[in-house]
Amino acid sequence: MSTAHWSALRIPWIDGNKTNSDVSEDVCAPLERAPTKAWYYALAASSTALLIGAVAVTDQIWTGIGTWGLNKTVGWSWDITNFVFWVGIGHAGTLISAILFLFRQRWRTSINRSAEAMTIFAVMCAGLFPIIHMGRPWLAYWVLPYPNPMGPLWVNFRSPLLWDVFAISTYFTVSSVFWYMGLLPDLALVARRANGWRKELFSRLSLGWDGSHRTWMHYEILYLLLAGLATPLVFSVHTIVSFDFSTSVVPGWHSTIFPPYFVCGAIFSGFAMVLSLMIIARKVMALENYITVRHIDAMCKITLLTSMIVSLAYSTEWFMAWYSFNPYERFAALNRFLGPYNHFYFMMLFSNMVVPQALWSQRVRTTPWAVFIISIFVNIGMWLERFVIITISLHRDYLPSSWTMYHPTRIEIATLIGSFGLFFTLFLLFCRFLPMIAASEVKGVLSYGRNPKHAGGDHDAA
Amino acid sequence: MTEEERLKFEEQDKADGLTRGDFLKALGASFAALAASGCGLRPPKEKIIPLIDQPEGAVPGVSRWYASTCGGCEASCGVIVKSRDGRPIKMEGNPDHPLTRGGLCARGQATVLDLYDNQRLKQPMEGSAPASWKAVDDAVVKGLDSAARKGKAIRIVSRSLPSPSLNAALAKFLKKYPTAKHVVYDPISSSAILEAHRSTHGRAVVPHYRVERARAIVSFDADFLGSWISPVEFTKSWAANRKPGEIMSWHAQFEPRMSVTGANADLRVPLRPSEELAAAVALGKLIAGKVSWTGPLPDAPPSTVDKALLLETAERLLGSRKRSLVISGSSDVAVQVVVNWINEMLGNYGETIDIAHPSMQKQGPAGALDGLIAELERGEVGALIVLEANPAQDQPRGKEFAAAMGKAALTVALAQRRDETAALARIVCATPHALESWGDAEPVSGVVSLFQPLLSPLFDTRPALESLLAWAGQPGSAYDFVKEHWRTDVFPRQKEVHAFTAFWDEALRRGAVSIAAAAAPAAAFQTGELARLKSARRSTGDGFEFVPYPSVALGDGRQANNPWLQELPDPVSKVSWGNVASFAQADAQRLGISEGSMVKLSAGGKSLELPAYVQPGQAAGVVAVALGYGRAEAGPVAANFPTVKLLPIDREDGGGADAYPLAGSAWVAVAAAGGSVVLAKTQIFDSQTVPFTDQKRELLKETTLPEYLKDSRETDAAKEAADENGLWPRHQYPGHKWGMAINLTSCTGCSSCVIACQAENNIPVVGKAEVRKGREMHWIRIDRYVDESKAAVGADVAFQPMLCQHCDNAPCETVCPVLATLHSNEGLNMQVYNRCVGTRYCANNCPYKVRRFNWFDYAHQDELQNMALNPDVTVRTRGVMEKCTFCTQRIYSAKFGADAEKRALKDGELVPACAQSCPADAIVFGDLNDPESRVAKLAKENHSYRVLAEIGVGPSVFYQPKVRNRRA
Repeated sequence: MSTAHWSALRIPWIDGNKTNSDVSEDVCAPLERAPTKAWYYALAASSTALLIGAVAVTDQIWTGIGTWGLNKTVGWSWDITNFVFWVGIGHAGTLISAILFLFRQRWRTSINRSAEAMTIFAVMCAGLFPIIHMGRPWLAYWVLPYPNPMGPLWVNFRSPLLWDVFAISTYFTVSSVFWYMGLLPDLALVARRANGWRKELFSRLSLGWDGSHRTWMHYEILYLLLAGLATPLVFSVHTIVSFDFSTSVVPGWHSTIFPPYFVCGAIFSGFAMVLSLMIIARKVMALENYITVRHIDAMCKITLLTSMIVSLAYSTEWFMAWYSFNPYERFAALNRFLGPYNHFYFMMLFSNMVVPQALWSQRVRTTPWAVFIISIFVNIGMWLERFVIITISLHRDYLPSSWTMYHPTRIEIATLIGSFGLFFTLFLLFCRFLPMIAASEVKGVLSYGRNPKHAGGDHDAA
Repeated sequence: MTEEERLKFEEQDKADGLTRGDFLKALGASFAALAASGCGLRPPKEKIIPLIDQPEGAVPGVSRWYASTCGGCEASCGVIVKSRDGRPIKMEGNPDHPLTRGGLCARGQATVLDLYDNQRLKQPMEGSAPASWKAVDDAVVKGLDSAARKGKAIRIVSRSLPSPSLNAALAKFLKKYPTAKHVVYDPISSSAILEAHRSTHGRAVVPHYRVERARAIVSFDADFLGSWISPVEFTKSWAANRKPGEIMSWHAQFEPRMSVTGANADLRVPLRPSEELAAAVALGKLIAGKVSWTGPLPDAPPSTVDKALLLETAERLLGSRKRSLVISGSSDVAVQVVVNWINEMLGNYGETIDIAHPSMQKQGPAGALDGLIAELERGEVGALIVLEANPAQDQPRGKEFAAAMGKAALTVALAQRRDETAALARIVCATPHALESWGDAEPVSGVVSLFQPLLSPLFDTRPALESLLAWAGQPGSAYDFVKEHWRTDVFPRQKEVHAFTAFWDEALRRGAVSIAAAAAPAAAFQTGELARLKSARRSTGDGFEFVPYPSVALGDGRQANNPWLQELPDPVSKVSWGNVASFAQADAQRLGISEGSMVKLSAGGKSLELPAYVQPGQAAGVVAVALGYGRAEAGPVAANFPTVKLLPIDREDGGGADAYPLAGSAWVAVAAAGGSVVLAKTQIFDSQTVPFTDQKRELLKETTLPEYLKDSRETDAAKEAADENGLWPRHQYPGHKWGMAINLTSCTGCSSCVIACQAENNIPVVGKAEVRKGREMHWIRIDRYVDESKAAVGADVAFQPMLCQHCDNAPCETVCPVLATLHSNEGLNMQVYNRCVGTRYCANNCPYKVRRFNWFDYAHQDELQNMALNPDVTVRTRGVMEKCTFCTQRIYSAKFGADAEKRALKDGELVPACAQSCPADAIVFGDLNDPESRVAKLAKENHSYRVLAEIGVGPSVFYQPKVRNRRA
């Protein structure tokens, strides 16, 4: 598949004059050697965080939602903030794999595998919160429309929460299948290089991949079809999540702008998370030749674009608050600026609107540590955005008699920490046990921007 | 049992699918549960008679209603008590009672929970050891005889006793012991009224105020809608004249603190207690000028009150001569004398003030206990009997009384609980709850009511009446004695019924009878005192004028161990679980304190520390503190809740400080004590005008009478249109369509509906820490909004009962993923507890924020207290949402009742708990589909509006605006 159409217009995506076998070697290396000390430290930290979360969730389920800081007025806060945050994080992977694939953005090849893995783990984290936020989580299965002897009792198809159930589970399923499909050639690669039980396991996991033309042809078509199938999901999931808010009557939630606003916000936060992870991973796992500053630069451009769209959404909200003449809407907007939680709002605006403006500079875009700092800001800013939407809208709605404040408890903080623990634990295990770069796809872009006459190397000119 | 019988039983068991062993096990377990709670439920031995309109024959699981009298305080309101399988479970106002005519206050409703309080005394005690009644009687009689022999005084201390029978028994006792004397005091005293009438009319009485006849009411610090003398009766009477368009009285309130009465007044003037005399005199002089008063004029310094306000007041009073009423809650006799004088000039005696048939609810003279304390200290008292009173706590010299008690050789407390006084008494006679004993009351001369026991005493208690009889040497049962007293004393006072049995049975059925009271001869007004007026209050002093007051929730504090009342937020401050020291805004600024700052009040070597509260509309220079909180021996609930820590629900001291020790001081020094606390408030934002936009949200519509009468003929057209724009098809209501109308002009904010709902619907109490987190569970709440822009002086405070609005296009219904909240075809928004998974989405999407979530498994640990639960209503587990159901259980029982009788439901037959309890009749419930129903008519009224109808949710609760009788 390595075709190596040389073109001066194409910029190289892979540095270091890598050959096909170099790629195989480099990608499989982490799987074939003993884990590094850094990996052990990271795993220890993340699994500790996971354990903290597990203890918190156990306590909360054992005792009651009262262990959280919610009250009669603020019925959702950190729980659903975390949910929306993680669903948002889960958007970059499928966008990178599916949409960028359809748009023939070949730079995606270096990052798509880990971005997709990230998506799946983020959706797992996200899915946790709607379950544990229930007053009676042991009855969570009641939200599924299954035949039952209780009447039978059915679900409410008008409820956006039910739409969430379908949207998230569909997204999770399709993303997982898509990711696994993409893994097949690399699993076969791992199997070919391995011995003993690992060989056995990976050959089974690769579903009998034989590398024939026929297999490759089927694979490419299936991959294209799945990409087409996954593409609408990128838009639908967060659209539906935003319906939780936009179909309600709460001022600050009841807004038709939410679907596009949420989708862009999700892509924004998803790319920020990919950047945060990849900038560390390329360093720690010595993958600078595969994930180059040019990849970072490309991702930064998308981040900048989505930041601008999100900023437009914020401004539209302000405009509508003024233009609609709706007193409740107007108050909700002003309460963000002037109310008791305004420091969160200003922090959010700074992180999501102001900080990403630095990405206009190519020097910043190509300076990994600078991009890393910006991406952390965006992550925090996007978490705060959901907190702003959910809590600040709820705590002061229609009847001033019911206005309250919300303060998170230790249990809620521990649960958020735990969700990060789950995410990083899964990601670290993924880095260790599966090829985190799509070797088969990277091999396809090796020749980009590389003049075979000067570079030499082992690949054959067409 | 023969072998044959045994086989037959076994065969029967097999057929029934239950073995006798299993059945006996279950039976044993249920008895053990009862035994563990220390009681068995038995009907009283005597014949008690249910309310008149009841089907014959008791059916298990079917509630029966009995008329009785409320034992919550001396106001002795008429009640009907719901009894289910031998358990009284709900107190309601008795519509047949001549004074209260239905409606019952929060404290009265909560007495049913006091019945099942495990902290009550369970048997007589000698010292701290349980004793037998015989031993106790022997010891008491021995002590009394010894005192009598030695010529030492015997003193019986009680609060006002409006009970004719108890007074008769007391008379027998006093007759037997010549050195015995009865000392009456009232924790919340009206002694100045007694004194003033002694000097102006020659009779030391509290007259019966006929508020229902008054078209103009001026109150000088008399909280007659909240706590003064007989608030239920007065609220009923006051509300009857607050019907804009028909009849609208004018009501002015001159008061230092913001009371519920002041909040409902048309004109409210903040006034320090020491300024009341000058204001009353100035008002009197204005009236004297108009009525050509020829008698002496009182003298007083010029009043601080704006002349224009006094002129308006005088004008309004003069415009309603003989139909006006001036009252005062002042403890200053001079103020009361001036008030009597004004009433005399206006011709109100014999019209709105009935002195011939006085009130018996407050009989304690001023300084009643001072003499007794002196006698005790001098060692002159041989025996002291405290008759269901708590003088060691609920009066300013409580500590001195407690110290002096020990000087008497015999101290006996007849008490329901081991309160501060009983804790010090050598002998404690446990007395039963009002729902366990026979008794009677004559709250106002000529209105006599009966107490019927609904169950045999839960504990080994004996009515005070029986104890007195036993010690008087004429032992007998309370039932016999009361009945006999009625035969000889009450029955002859009326002429209509000729047979005593019929009279007695009718009295039991109805609960109360009106009889021709022995009318005292009309007394002429004596002017002598007017010229010699001398105020008992210093007009200057160091620090602040001190205003102790009985709160709406706890009154004088005798029910301090009642969790419902402790959690009931004060209607004005919205603070629950504890009292506060409230200050005017200017004073708070000057002192550099804000809400929650701890302050220390001190006077005469006594002091107390309390969190501060800043009250708009309070008079400057005044600090007001509610009485009844901070009691040392009130019980575990008053100290802490939940009382048993089973779950990690935070616990926090019930809190508050006892203000009685300072209650005798007119002035207190105030100092910041350092530190601050967060108050357990149920409403933390006070205004309808929101910050930032400064827009007023017209949720609680307020208007003036002229504006109201202009009648702009506005309709709800725009709002109706909003209702039509739904995404989903509209619901159809082929049969009934339940709706409610709430009249905000009548609603005084008294919060009786809140407790009624709590009792009816098994609403849990969550405790101070949880209230502070904003997790109180009340299904109906009183929203209180402060408006400082419209009032002539100070601030306007208005109340709005807020409950589930049962929206036709309910936002909660669409969002529930599991269909746990549904719409009935009668317009009810229903909550299915056992389907709810607890996503709380419905609560978020409720614009009224009336949904309540069970954050924990709330305390139902006290098995005895659980007997107060209403078996018709599910007790909710944790993790589920709940909210007002429009008392669906009552709707169904009324419908089944009508079905059984094969007839249609009648309008007004169906009354939810909140509407039933409302003394002001502010809540009307019924069928909106029936154009003849009261609620349908009210809903169609031009002024009716629905809160937030503009967002298109289609609420079913119609509010009539708060109308104040103001000129502009």
